[in-house]
Amino acid sequence: MSQLVYLVPLLPLAGFLINGLLRKSLSKQAVSIIGCGVILIAFLISLGLFFQVKANGPIIQTYFNFIDIKGLNIPFSFQVDALSVLFMLIITGVGFLIHVYSTSYMHEESTPHFARYFSFLNLFVFSMLLLVMGGNYLILFLGWEGVGLCSYLLIGYWFKNTDYNYAAKKAFIMNRIGDVGFLLGIFWLVAKLGTLTYGNVFAAAGNLSAVDVTGITILLFIGATGKSAQIPLYTWLPDAMAGPTPVSALIHAATMVTAGVYMIARSNILYSMSAVTENVIAIIGIATVLLAATIAIKQNDIKKVLAYSTVSQLGYMFLGLGVGAYNGAVFHVMTHAFFKALLFLGAGSVIHAMGNEQDIRKMGGLRKYMPVTHITFLLGCLAISGIPPFSGFFSKDEILAAAYAKNPVLWVLGVAGAALTAFYMFRLYATTFLGSFRGTHDQEHHLHESPAAITLPLIALAILSVIGGWIGIPAVMIPDANAFHHFLQPVITTEAIAEMPHATEWLLMVVSVAVAVIAILIALGKFTKRPELNEPQGLGGFLAHKWYIDELYDAVIVNPLNALAGFFKNIIEKSGIDGIVNGVGRFILYSSRQVRLVQSGQVGSYILFMVLAIIVLVLIWINDGYIYTYLSKIF
Amino acid sequence: MNAIIFSVIGGVVMMFTGIITQQKKAIRNVAIIALIILLLANIFDTYGILSIHIGTHGMLNFQKFGLYFNTLAYAATLLFILISGADVTQIGEGKHAAEFFALIFFSLSGIAIITSYNSLLLLFLGIEIMSIPLYILTGGDKRNLKSNEASLKYFLMGSFSTGILLMGIALMYGAHGGFEISAMKPSAVSNEYGILDPLGLVLVFIAIAFKVSAAPFHFWTPDVYDGSPSVFTSFMATIIKAAGFIAFIRLFDNKYVELGLSWRIILPLVIIATLLVGNITAIFQQSVKRMMAYSSIAQAGFMLFAVFAENDMAKEGILIYTVAYSVATIGIFAVLEKMEDISLAGYNGLAKKHPLLAATNTIFLLSLTGIPLTAGFFAKYYMLLSVIKYGGSTVTWLVIVAVIFAAISAYYYFRVIQAMYFKTGNPEVRSYNKGFCFMLVILAAITILIGIFPTIILNWFYF
Repeated sequence: MSQLVYLVPLLPLAGFLINGLLRKSLSKQAVSIIGCGVILIAFLISLGLFFQVKANGPIIQTYFNFIDIKGLNIPFSFQVDALSVLFMLIITGVGFLIHVYSTSYMHEESTPHFARYFSFLNLFVFSMLLLVMGGNYLILFLGWEGVGLCSYLLIGYWFKNTDYNYAAKKAFIMNRIGDVGFLLGIFWLVAKLGTLTYGNVFAAAGNLSAVDVTGITILLFIGATGKSAQIPLYTWLPDAMAGPTPVSALIHAATMVTAGVYMIARSNILYSMSAVTENVIAIIGIATVLLAATIAIKQNDIKKVLAYSTVSQLGYMFLGLGVGAYNGAVFHVMTHAFFKALLFLGAGSVIHAMGNEQDIRKMGGLRKYMPVTHITFLLGCLAISGIPPFSGFFSKDEILAAAYAKNPVLWVLGVAGAALTAFYMFRLYATTFLGSFRGTHDQEHHLHESPAAITLPLIALAILSVIGGWIGIPAVMIPDANAFHHFLQPVITTEAIAEMPHATEWLLMVVSVAVAVIAILIALGKFTKRPELNEPQGLGGFLAHKWYIDELYDAVIVNPLNALAGFFKNIIEKSGIDGIVNGVGRFILYSSRQVRLVQSGQVGSYILFMVLAIIVLVLIWINDGYIYTYLSKIF
Repeated sequence: MNAIIFSVIGGVVMMFTGIITQQKKAIRNVAIIALIILLLANIFDTYGILSIHIGTHGMLNFQKFGLYFNTLAYAATLLFILISGADVTQIGEGKHAAEFFALIFFSLSGIAIITSYNSLLLLFLGIEIMSIPLYILTGGDKRNLKSNEASLKYFLMGSFSTGILLMGIALMYGAHGGFEISAMKPSAVSNEYGILDPLGLVLVFIAIAFKVSAAPFHFWTPDVYDGSPSVFTSFMATIIKAAGFIAFIRLFDNKYVELGLSWRIILPLVIIATLLVGNITAIFQQSVKRMMAYSSIAQAGFMLFAVFAENDMAKEGILIYTVAYSVATIGIFAVLEKMEDISLAGYNGLAKKHPLLAATNTIFLLSLTGIPLTAGFFAKYYMLLSVIKYGGSTVTWLVIVAVIFAAISAYYYFRVIQAMYFKTGNPEVRSYNKGFCFMLVILAAITILIGIFPTIILNWFYF
C-alpha cells in the first residue's frame, strides 16, 4: 500500500490537467467522470493507507531532494501518519461527495466552464493533500499556497461579476498577510534548527530557547489566522461565499479553513512548549467564537449565516488547541467537516430550488417541498448545536471540558457561544423551512426536491453527522471507548488535560446541553411564526453590519495604505526614481553626443591622439611597479 | 600548412577566373568551390589526415588551436560569400568581381599565417598580407569618393601602425637576439638591455590593438567601416577582427606569466576605454552601418577579456565569441545590404513588409546584445567567466563594468528592433531571392543552436 502513497495527490493533479487542458473538447459527462473518479480512487487508496497506518504505524516516503544546499536539505517527502491519514480521508471522502454534488449543481454552466470548475476543484484537492501529506514544513507551505490559489480561483469562478472578483482578491490578500507570518516562522525554524522535516524539528525542539519557541509558534499561528479565518484576518471568509455553494462547502467549511488547525496539531510539540502562545490562541479562539456567533444572529443570507458559523466553529477548534485539547480540536475538525459540508450542501439545494435566491426572508415553509433537504438540514443543525448523540456534541464537549480544566471563564464563554450557535442555527432553520412560503408565485411553482446527485451526498453526510461522533465518546460515558484518542496517540504526544471528577464532567455536559436546548426552543418559538423581515435597528443593526469591522479595516489600514501608495506612485516614483533612471539615460545620451565629437574625420588628429595614448601606455608599462603599489594603497 | 597553400592557390585561381570569364555567377561559384576546398584542406590538416609540410626553420608552429580557428574563420567566410557573394560581384561597376574574391583569399592566407606564427617576422608578414588586400577592398567602389577616402585613411593609419609594429619587433630583437617567440624569456635578457623588451612588447601590443580597433587606437574604424562597401565592412568587422585576437593570444600565451603587473593595469584600461567609446558613441548614431562600426568596437572590448585572462576558458570563449559575433554581424550586414536607406529611420516598419528579414535581424541583434538562448549570451558568459577564473574577486569590478556596458548596448541594438516592429514606415528594400532567405534562416538557426548548445563548437575543438 505504501508504494501507492504518491498516487493520492497525483490523481487529482492528473484530473486537473486533463479537465483543464481538454476543457474545450470533453463532454460534461466525461468531465464529471474524470473529476469524481480520481477523487474516488484517491479516497480508496487513503482508506487502504488508513488501515495500514492503524496496523503498522506511520509511513514516510522520500522521493527526491527538493532543496539541497550547504547547511539545508529539504527532501520531497510524504508523511502518512494518524493525523494526516485522518485529514486525507476527510479531504477525499467529503471531497468526493461534494464532487458528485457539483455534477448536478453546476450543470447549467457551459461545458468549458464546467470543466474549468472541476479542474480547479481537483487542483484544490491536490494542493490540500500536499498540505496534509507533506513530510516537512516546506511541502506543507506549498500546499498551503496551492489551496490559497484555488480558493482565489473558485471564489472568483463567476469572474464576470466584479464583486465576486473583489471577494476573491480580498481572500487572497488576507491569506497572503497571514502567509508572511507563516514564512517568517519557517525561516526562523531553518535559521535555528537547519531542518524543516517534522521528525527532526520535533526531536530538536528542546534546543530552542523560550523566545525562539514563542516567536516561531506565534508566527506560524499568524499564518493560521489567515487560512483558518480567525481574528483579525477572518473577514475574507464571509465574502468568499461568492463562490459556488459546493466550493463553500468543500473549501470554506470542510477542508481548507481547517489547515491552520492541522498545522498546529501537527506542531503540538512546539506549541505545548510555549504557554504564552497557548494563551494567545485560546483567547483569539474564544473571541472569534463569540464575535462570529453574534454576527451570525442577524444575517439574512443563508450562506452568510453558515459562513459566520464556520468562523465561529473554527474559533472552537482554536480554543481547543489553545487549552491543549489537540485531540478535541482535530475531532471537531472531522465532525465539523461532516455537518458543515452537509449544511452548505443543503443550503445549496435550497438555493437551487429557489432559483438562486439566498435571502432567507424570502423563503419559509420549504419543509413541504423539499423533504430530504429538510430532514438532513435539521440533522445538521442538531449536530452543530451540540445535542447528543449527534456528532457535534462529542467534539464540542471535549473542547469545553478541556477549557474548563484550564480556566472556568473560558468554559462559560464557550457555553455562551454554544447557546448563540444553537440560536442562530435554528433561527436559520425556522425561517427557511418552517412557517409559510414568502417568495414569489413563480418561485413557489418551481420549488422541487433536488435530484439524486444532490440528495445522495446529503444523506451520506447526514449519516456521518449523526454517527461520526461515536468514535470519540468520552471516557466518563463509556471507559476506553475513545478510539479517536487512541488512534492519534502517536502524533499528539503532548496532550495534558487535568483530570476532573466525573461528577463535574457530567455536570458540565448537562449544563451545556440544557443551554443549547433552551436556545433552540427560544429560536423556534420566536421565528417559526414571525420571522424577522425588517432591517434590524440599534444593537441588531450593529450586529447585522458585522460590528463594522470591514469599515474599520478600510479606515485604519486600507485607506492609509492607498494614500501611501499614491504618495509613492506620484512623488517617489515619478519624480524620484524615474528622475534618477531617466537622468542616467540622459547623461549617457549627453556623453554620447560629446564623445562623438572626438571622431572628427581628420587623420592628423587621430594620429595625434594615438601618439599621446602610446606615450601614456609606455609610461605606465615602464613604471608599473609604482603605479600598482599606489593603486593597491587606494583600493 | 594546407591553409596557407590552398588560400594562396585560391587567390591565384580567382585572378585567372577573372581573365577567363566575366560571368558574375560563374565567378562566385568558383569562389565558393575554392573556399570549400580550402576549408576541407584545413580540416584534414587539423586532424592529420592529409597535411603538406614545407620546412620553415621553426618560423611557423601549427597548433590545433590555430588550425581550428582557421576552420571557423573559413566557415564564416563561406557563410559570408554564400549570403553576400552576389553583392560582392556588384561592387564598383561589377567588372572586378574576380579580383575582389582573389583579394579575400589573399587576406585569408594572411590569417593562416597569423594563427600559426612563431617568429615575429611572420607575425609582421601575416598582418601585412591580411591588411593590404583590405586597403584595396575598402576602396573597391572606385567611383565613390567616400570609399576612396576610407581607403586612403585606412592605408595611412595602417601604415602608421605597421611602423609601430616594426619598431616593437626591432626592439624585441634587440633584447633577445632572435625573433622566435617560443625562445623569448624576459629573465634571460641582461639588465643592460632590460628596457628594450617591455618597450618592444608594448609597441607590438599597440599595433595589434590597432588592428582589433581597441580604444584609443580605434579612430580609423568608424570612418573606414562607414566608407567602405557594406559587404567588405562585414568581412572586415568579423573574420579579420577575430584573427587579430588570435595574434594576441599567440603572442602572450608564451610571455604572459612574466609580464607581471603592467598587464593588470594596462589591459583593464584599454578594455574599459574600448567598451566606453564603443558603447557610448554607438548610442548617438543615426546610421545603422555606423552604429555597427561602433558596435564592433564595443564587441572588441569584450573579446579583449580573453587576452586578459589567457587561460583555457578564454581560448574556448574566443572561439565561441568569434562564431557568435561573426554570424550575427554577417547577418545584420546582409540585411543592411538590402536596405535602400541604411539610416535607422529606413528600418521603420520593416516587420510588416518583410517579416523574415525583420525576424532574423532581431535574432542577430539579440545575439549581439547577449540575450540568453542566442549565441551571444554564451560568448559573453565565457569571456566574463574566464576573467573571473583568472582574477577572482580582484577583477569583480571589471566584470561589473562590462555588464553595465552590455546593458547600455541593449539601447542601440533594441532601437533597430523597435524601428522594425513598433514604428510605421515604408522601408524600401532591394530585391532578394529565396536563397538569400534560406541563408538568413541558416544564420539565425546557428545563432540559436549555439545559444542552446554552446559546447558543440568546443566538442569539435577537442575532437
